[in-house]
Amino acid sequence: MGEAIVITSGKGGVGKTTSSANLGTALALQGKKVCLVDTDIGLRNLDVILGLENRIIYDLVDVIEGRCRIQQALVKDKRFEDRLFLLPAAQTTDKNAVNPEQMKDLITELKRDYDYILIDCPAGIEQGYKNAVAGADKAIVVTTPEISAVRDADRIIGLLEQEDIEPPKLIINRIRGGLIDSGDTLDVNDITTHLSIDLLGIVLDDQNVISSSNKGEPVVMDPNNPAALGYRNIARRILGESVPLMSVNTGKPGFFGKLKALFTK
Amino acid sequence: MSKQQCVTIKGTKDGLVLRLDDKCAYSELLEELGKKAQDPGLDGAVEVQIHTGSRYCNDETAKEIIKVVETPGNLRVSKIQSDVITMEECNRRVTERQSETYIGIVRSGQEVRAKGDLVVIGDVNPNGHVSAAGSIYILGRLKGKAHAGNAGNKEAVIAASWLEATHLMIADQVETMTDELAILSEHPEMECAYLHTNGFIAIDRLQDLRLLRPGLSTFKGGS
Repeated sequence: MGEAIVITSGKGGVGKTTSSANLGTALALQGKKVCLVDTDIGLRNLDVILGLENRIIYDLVDVIEGRCRIQQALVKDKRFEDRLFLLPAAQTTDKNAVNPEQMKDLITELKRDYDYILIDCPAGIEQGYKNAVAGADKAIVVTTPEISAVRDADRIIGLLEQEDIEPPKLIINRIRGGLIDSGDTLDVNDITTHLSIDLLGIVLDDQNVISSSNKGEPVVMDPNNPAALGYRNIARRILGESVPLMSVNTGKPGFFGKLKALFTK
Repeated sequence: MSKQQCVTIKGTKDGLVLRLDDKCAYSELLEELGKKAQDPGLDGAVEVQIHTGSRYCNDETAKEIIKVVETPGNLRVSKIQSDVITMEECNRRVTERQSETYIGIVRSGQEVRAKGDLVVIGDVNPNGHVSAAGSIYILGRLKGKAHAGNAGNKEAVIAASWLEATHLMIADQVETMTDELAILSEHPEMECAYLHTNGFIAIDRLQDLRLLRPGLSTFKGGS
């Protein structure tokens, strides 16, 4: 019996889908059997980021309305043998095509076959959100170091706390060391004390995240990328390992950096 | 006539008091009350209080009594007093005086309401809303909206460990915490908001609450 984790944020554009794709990939790299479920019906993206867009035949609404079996709709990511699957959202209808009870049944069925089911939640707190949360056992809230994103995260945490799930955990995405240093943005500590939930991990801002998403290869597959390291650490924490929080590189040279600069001059 | 009278008129330092007997029949009482009110000895508009003793008066009977007393035109009823209240009324009074405790964070979009005083142990985040008929006490950061005395109690206060609210409301007065209120941004720690005699909401140190609202303290003794 696997566990279902919903990845949500309230605000759009903070990296829910990117985080879902990367965490799913990272868990698959760790040898777990993972199913990603895109619940953003009408505005699906997860398939694009995973590079599986042109392999979709059936989608989530087809499964729920009984036009196909779950196995037929699941798209296998060939890079990970039999460990990473995607249940894509429908693009031709909207969020009202599905109701929370149907989602709950679907996720329960998926939990039998997979270790982890990551549910990519749409932005907002309406029908799409309710569908996404319905079947989840746990929740991850993604935010960025912007006040608007933190406000919405606060709202969504309030809603999640009323659901019958474990207390949500936090990912702070797109952290920019330089801006924190100059005091122009919230730092990790500000955000965690404001939201007062457990921090699952931080992900540094990196331009390769966008370029690799465009190529359909989640950035986490590049082991040397700083953002990838953040996602890998989060995946390890989901698996129960205790991994120390990575430091935010603020761009200021440390002692050894200065020493090195002295000799290389 | 040997029959005991149902209405006795007494003069006290607060004015005339009509003491109504609580054993006699209601119809008898009204009849006698009507007669007494027409007493030629009473002239001009005299204010009277009515004590009903252990007789329970609901709103309707109270209105009827007032009508009977006031119809002749000599008397005006300033208040009706009774020694008994209903359980409902009693419970309402108890809840109004009670303080309710909320432990947790009041997050954006959430609303916490209390019928009496409200104690919040935790933060009130921006766009979170706390509201009480009595006073609001927050052990944490108040960063959202707070409304004390929402039923019109002007004596209610809002006290917080960190008072950084966006909106403060006391009774029907609203204050938006703009940058002009420099006192907030400089020292948000341990402060309280109250309705000043000038009609606006003022903010002061929590330590001054003892002098500003001595009536809020319910603690007896402790020398």
